[in-house]
Amino acid sequence: MAAPSPLLETRGLTMRFGGLVAVRGIDLALGSGEVLAVIGPNGAGKSTLFNLVSGLYRPSAGTVHLAGEDITGLPAHRIAARGIARTFQTSRLFGDLTVIDNVIIGMHARTRTGVLDALFRPRRARAELAAAAERAEALLGLVSPDLLARRHTLAGTLPQADRRRLELARALASGPRLIMLDEPSSGMDDRDTDALVEDIAMTMAERPGLSYIIIEHDMRLVAALPGQVVVIDYGEKIAEGPFAEIRRLPRVQEAYLGHKATHA
Amino acid sequence: MAAAAPARAATLADRAIVAAGEAGGALILGLFLLAEDWRLITAVLVLCGAGFALLELRPAIEERIVAAFRRAPATALVLGAAIVLAYPFGMQGNSYALHLLVIALLYAVLALALNFQLGSANIPNFATGASYGIGAYASALLALEFGVSFWLTLPVAAAVATVFGFLLGFPSMRTRDTYLALVTIAFGIVVHQLLNNFDWTGGPNGLVGIPAPSILGHSFARPIVILGQRVPAQANFYYLALALVALAILAARRLHNSRVGLAWNALRGDELAARCQGIDVVWYKMLAFAVDAFLAAFAGSVYAAYVSYISPDNFTFLVSVTIMTMVIVGGMDNSFGVIVGAFLLTLLPEKLRIFSDYRLLFVGVVVILFLVLRPQGLFPQRPRSYGAS
Amino acid sequence: MDALVLQYVMNWLVLGCIYALVALGFSLLFGVLNVIHFSHGDVVIVAPFVVLAVLQGLVAAMPAATAGALALALAAAILAVGILGVIADWLVIRRFRRAPAMMALVATVALGTVVRELIRMFYPQGSNPKPFPRLIEAQVALGGVTVPVFSLLAIAVSVAMMGLLFAMMRFTPLGLRIRAVAEDRATARLMAIRPGRIFAATFFVASAVGAIGAILFASYAGAVRFDFGIQLGLIGFSGAVIGGLGSMLGAILGSLLIAGIDVLVQATMAEGASYRLVFAFLLVILVLVLKPSGLLGRPAIEKV
Repeated sequence: MAAPSPLLETRGLTMRFGGLVAVRGIDLALGSGEVLAVIGPNGAGKSTLFNLVSGLYRPSAGTVHLAGEDITGLPAHRIAARGIARTFQTSRLFGDLTVIDNVIIGMHARTRTGVLDALFRPRRARAELAAAAERAEALLGLVSPDLLARRHTLAGTLPQADRRRLELARALASGPRLIMLDEPSSGMDDRDTDALVEDIAMTMAERPGLSYIIIEHDMRLVAALPGQVVVIDYGEKIAEGPFAEIRRLPRVQEAYLGHKATHA
Repeated sequence: MAAAAPARAATLADRAIVAAGEAGGALILGLFLLAEDWRLITAVLVLCGAGFALLELRPAIEERIVAAFRRAPATALVLGAAIVLAYPFGMQGNSYALHLLVIALLYAVLALALNFQLGSANIPNFATGASYGIGAYASALLALEFGVSFWLTLPVAAAVATVFGFLLGFPSMRTRDTYLALVTIAFGIVVHQLLNNFDWTGGPNGLVGIPAPSILGHSFARPIVILGQRVPAQANFYYLALALVALAILAARRLHNSRVGLAWNALRGDELAARCQGIDVVWYKMLAFAVDAFLAAFAGSVYAAYVSYISPDNFTFLVSVTIMTMVIVGGMDNSFGVIVGAFLLTLLPEKLRIFSDYRLLFVGVVVILFLVLRPQGLFPQRPRSYGAS
Repeated sequence: MDALVLQYVMNWLVLGCIYALVALGFSLLFGVLNVIHFSHGDVVIVAPFVVLAVLQGLVAAMPAATAGALALALAAAILAVGILGVIADWLVIRRFRRAPAMMALVATVALGTVVRELIRMFYPQGSNPKPFPRLIEAQVALGGVTVPVFSLLAIAVSVAMMGLLFAMMRFTPLGLRIRAVAEDRATARLMAIRPGRIFAATFFVASAVGAIGAILFASYAGAVRFDFGIQLGLIGFSGAVIGGLGSMLGAILGSLLIAGIDVLVQATMAEGASYRLVFAFLLVILVLVLKPSGLLGRPAIEKV
């Protein structure tokens, strides 16, 4: 009982769509500063798991706790405000806004200006926004100096690799305790993926207390990550452990690495 | 593209461009307002069309002009204020031209109100005309039944309409896009029909004899005389409507350049991603409805006091559609564009009265052409700039 | 059955069928093109004017053959409005296929103004309401009460049209192609279906079906005016939306609901005629608050 509760803990998390069970009884536990990779074939329920934790879906059964606090079924914006940030498989940036605007929007939960402040205390509102812009620039510089240089271009015009970086920066901007990355390497070539691994490693080094859950298809990326790996197939957790052990399990190879290997 | 204008000091060239732009705009507007001959009206329209064609073909010119205005904001503000304040005196005592200006300014307020929703947050609202009507009726009834001063009816009418706005926004919690558009259409029709049916709103005949406001003993029904210069009574309402537009622009700027404006823009771009940034989209949607209704009610109150006679037909579904067209034609999320859109769509049908039977047809065709040829609007949205301001 | 009640039921069915014929067009066009064709009401209201014009021309030419002239006029009107729908798409609506929904909406509202103004200008004395004949004046005894044959005819024609439309969508190659384009435009193109043609065909069918609704509406009301299309369009649109856009059955259901409240209010309230729109649109709001995607619409689950 003395052990502190983990940062994120799911128990029996289940999601049904009509008759289809997309996620079934998943238990996860993740401590502060830890990294967890989630792998599994397409349609295994990985993204659904993210949607449950981030509050986009309300689970059919099971619970989600953040630092011991029950956040099951809270609306997405509340969960985001409590410190869970995420990216999307197909990046969902605000394409008609500038790069820096995207990052500042990421700080929404940490800034306070309401409509009355904006109207009647403009100096305060402007100061807050200016401070946010400054922090955003610092953050962009950390993630990618190249992105910092392009901070005033529209996000919709960025190449794929930069979109990923910007999503990462936007997620970091909320000052989260946990970041969930949904297939950060999807749609990227090897060179870009290598650069991305470096970026992620750097942000991990920069913010040691921050926890990560990463859905990934690219095994090189998974191998490069520290921490545990969870394998999901048909909505269920079929294995858990360090990558070196996981990869050798026959069930995992069959479910996942088997047909992946034919691609390589 | 240098989107973020560096905080450079304004050069003489900048100031000259600003002065030329403002004086030119004022001149063209004045020419258009005072023109009676159809040839002159057509010539002005052709001139404007050519101007926009030039901007479309040579975006660099537009960039230069915008940069000039950004670098010399003080010049732009002082000169602009001087021009609009002196404008009624340049109308040669033409009360019809002044009347058109008042109506155009009120529509500018309505379009700016809708822009908070449609432009910033891309929420359809076909009930701005209804909020406008609620403001007008609330203000007129208070004045007629209880003898309340106009200046006191203003905030009360706005409060009533804001409650309506929240009510209207309530279904936006669950419905979206076309379905939400229909909800607002339905609200607009219900309000119009109720105004048409209730006895206490005067039914289809509406309300008559709404008193004109007065300030420091000067009734708005009387002409203004300054230094021997006399301008028709409409000028009173010109200044009142102008103040309202200034207020709306100020509110738009402050909200746009704040966390609220960013949140609206975020949910316009991607509602789901916005939620994951911690944005309470339901609250921001309802807020957009409320702000729209609040401002529209102000315009309604002023309109009622100005024309002294209102009927349900001033606030139909088609009025809401017109306001929406102004925002889209002018340029979503760009205050200046929206105002130009409002002026264009108010003045065009009026000045085309000489083409009597063809004017609505012509306006319809012009709107379609605008949407096809310049879908981003006359003056599209501009990126925010940080640090420079 | 009480004669009055029967009359109300007949009115409900006739109005519901008329609204449904217009609503089906909205639903079909939305399902295939994902576009709100707000001028649909204005386009279809051209049909009664064509009927009147052709009838006048024919009666002037040969005063004897009235039944044949009527049939010819009806056919001409339906065909003409079908083509008008295709032209509207070709001139305006197709330019907004990729644009945000609100732009297409505003553009079609403007298009509606253009259509209305064209009727007003080019039809002789177009601003005034025109008396429109009942297609059939006869009455028939039904269960002890007399019923206008027109009502029965209107219902029969509408039901037949709905049946035809369903059969066309289900069983003909054209229907199959329309559904394919509605499902996935890019894939349909790979199957050698040319979306452009399908769009034209859809506009033709939607407008022609709506034209029948508009003719019945004019005949039911006994008059037609250039701006009747606004209300007919709004109600048809509402029927399609509360039924669930894209669902043909939903469009019919939604239209019957709106017509039902319309007739009910007029039958039971002293000032029913003034309040019918109030209650019809309150119903619209209520339905959408309870069922945000309409009665039979697919609830939108966004893929993340």
